[in-house]
Amino acid sequence: MTWSDRYAAVFGAALGVALLGQPLAATLRGLAAGVDPARLAAALALVMVAYAGYLALARLLGPVVLPAADAAWLVLSPLPRRSVLGRAVTVLLVIAVAGGAVLGLAALSAFGAPDNLVLRLVAALVVGVGAGAGGMAAAVLAQAAGAWDSWLRVAIAGIVVMAVLVAVLGSGPARQALTAVAGAPVGLAVSAAGLVAAGAAVLLRRAWAALDRIPARRLLSSSVRSGRVISAAVTLDPGALTWAAEDDHWRGRALGSRPWPGFAAAGGWGRALAPAWQEWRRAGRRPGRLAVLSGSVALPALAAQASGGMSVLPIGVLLCGALAAAVACTTGARRDGDNPSLARLLAVDGRALLAARALLPALMAGLWSTLALAGLAVAGVLPGGPWWLLGPALAPALAAAALRMAGRRPVDHAQPVIETPVGSLPTGPLIWALTGVDLALLGCLPTLAALTDPAASPATSVVVQALVGGGVLAAFLLRRGRRSTASDG
Amino acid sequence: MSEMIIAAHGVEVELGDTPVLRDVGLVAAAGEVVAVLGENGAGKSTLLRCLAGLRPPLRGLIEVLSGPPVDAAEFWERVVLVGDEPAWYPGLSVQEHLELMSAVHRDARLTVGEALDMFELRGRAELSPLTLSTGQRQRLSLAMALLRPSRLLLLDEPERGLDAAFRARLAAILQGYAGDGGTVVMATHDLQLATATGARLITLEAAS
Repeated sequence: MTWSDRYAAVFGAALGVALLGQPLAATLRGLAAGVDPARLAAALALVMVAYAGYLALARLLGPVVLPAADAAWLVLSPLPRRSVLGRAVTVLLVIAVAGGAVLGLAALSAFGAPDNLVLRLVAALVVGVGAGAGGMAAAVLAQAAGAWDSWLRVAIAGIVVMAVLVAVLGSGPARQALTAVAGAPVGLAVSAAGLVAAGAAVLLRRAWAALDRIPARRLLSSSVRSGRVISAAVTLDPGALTWAAEDDHWRGRALGSRPWPGFAAAGGWGRALAPAWQEWRRAGRRPGRLAVLSGSVALPALAAQASGGMSVLPIGVLLCGALAAAVACTTGARRDGDNPSLARLLAVDGRALLAARALLPALMAGLWSTLALAGLAVAGVLPGGPWWLLGPALAPALAAAALRMAGRRPVDHAQPVIETPVGSLPTGPLIWALTGVDLALLGCLPTLAALTDPAASPATSVVVQALVGGGVLAAFLLRRGRRSTASDG
Repeated sequence: MSEMIIAAHGVEVELGDTPVLRDVGLVAAAGEVVAVLGENGAGKSTLLRCLAGLRPPLRGLIEVLSGPPVDAAEFWERVVLVGDEPAWYPGLSVQEHLELMSAVHRDARLTVGEALDMFELRGRAELSPLTLSTGQRQRLSLAMALLRPSRLLLLDEPERGLDAAFRARLAAILQGYAGDGGTVVMATHDLQLATATGARLITLEAAS
């Protein structure tokens, strides 16, 4: 380790303490003040969604994985499976304990600690770590046996449904019940912690026993998948990762071909609609993804309730969610950007094709933000008025941003590295990450300003947003359309 | 006299400081099949990219269909390039890729059903192209290229991954295309395929 590395490590640790220490201390002090009933349901629902995401991610990635060389050689060797997997299991345990502790603290911050702060804190940590470790053990069992995998999927769906119920009913009929749970005697919290710990211990024991039985093919496929994740992270090429996930989804599937709509008969722009229809057909074939997007429209309202009103958090969630909805429908544009051979075969005018491809991302972003804004209005964090109209007005700008993201080149590692007091800042990945986001921020500026300080009526903001959004999309299409069909994609 | 489709003279290309093509010429008339042969690194693929307007030569003159080749929609409406990196749209089956090609191009040369049969893809029609073998993916690339109307086919190693029986069939398909008035220029290592199509042979020497 060089002096520079030591300096960076110490500086990073000091910065971490400076950044996290104060909010953590304030949170712990705030716990003693008791629960805020208005925030309880939303905060609890967010914790549950985070836990469901943790389980889903563990299931998706393996969770037991090995480096590619170990997976290829050691798994197929006669060595005891547990000793081969020992290091991977230790890493999983550390992740589970750390993730569980964060979840426990988050749950405690939702429920509050009216008395016996230390005891309740310990109980929350035990519940969190137990849930984290138990969940990870269940994911290991799911990797070993199909039956456990089915159960885990049901459990994840169940947690999401419960989160929705808590969010919906928690501010109404179930509010009393949640408040009663928050004010339960400390003895009950300790007993619950004991039960969770016991359950986690049983799952961990079964997972340890199951390590010997995980089929080699599952270990290999999980390791290949995770290898791609690591490779994408090391080479800072997240695009490769999303393609790997997309290709994995379609490989081996029988799709049930249907005739193509006769857009091209209309000539002119109709020809451009035909290739763009690929995205609509693909979206229809991924109902699970559409369901997740639909469910996530409640997140801005939950974030607003959990943070006590409109703030940076719900506005950020709204913008990110709407942009994600648009980005999810740009695979055709991305494919042509990465490899324009199909676009050349189709021989469609680049600008017309790009305009046709903006329709679905605009529709998705518009729908998502409309529903999310309606949710914010229902949650009572926006003043009266049709705030949902900002949703359709946002759509063109977000579609332009999503298409700009789809057309970006791989990370340029030849870009200069800027030295800062915190360490080196490579500008290549930074520029890559900001490409597209820049257009989203610029195009959504009127909405961001309107939501930061909501006026009595959103009418003016809606008109300004529609003009700015439309202008951003028009300028984007004019500028990108100037390039040739093939090189533009 | 047949219409001249390609006229390239004195083409020179360098990659970095390394010469790849030195004073290369190629002419092709309507209805003609030209096979470009040569060892690895001789510049066959580079020449095809020059003819497709994807790599401007350092020196020399290239005219394709009475004008310089340009990477633009109007050019690709008449010219087809089948390169070494096929791409597929996610979420579409083999048949739907052909349907898409047929939907975009009026006056398609083949129906989707004819293309599936001609390129022996009927049994894989419902699958994602990602599921196909290398040879089957190559057949799909060629099927898309030959389904749509065009005047010039630029093929970079079309024999890649194909079994011997299908190579013979491909030769007949390309002969049929040329018989309809189309021009084929292919870079290939398969002399048997080249002669089976009745191609005029051009051998590139590695530039030094």
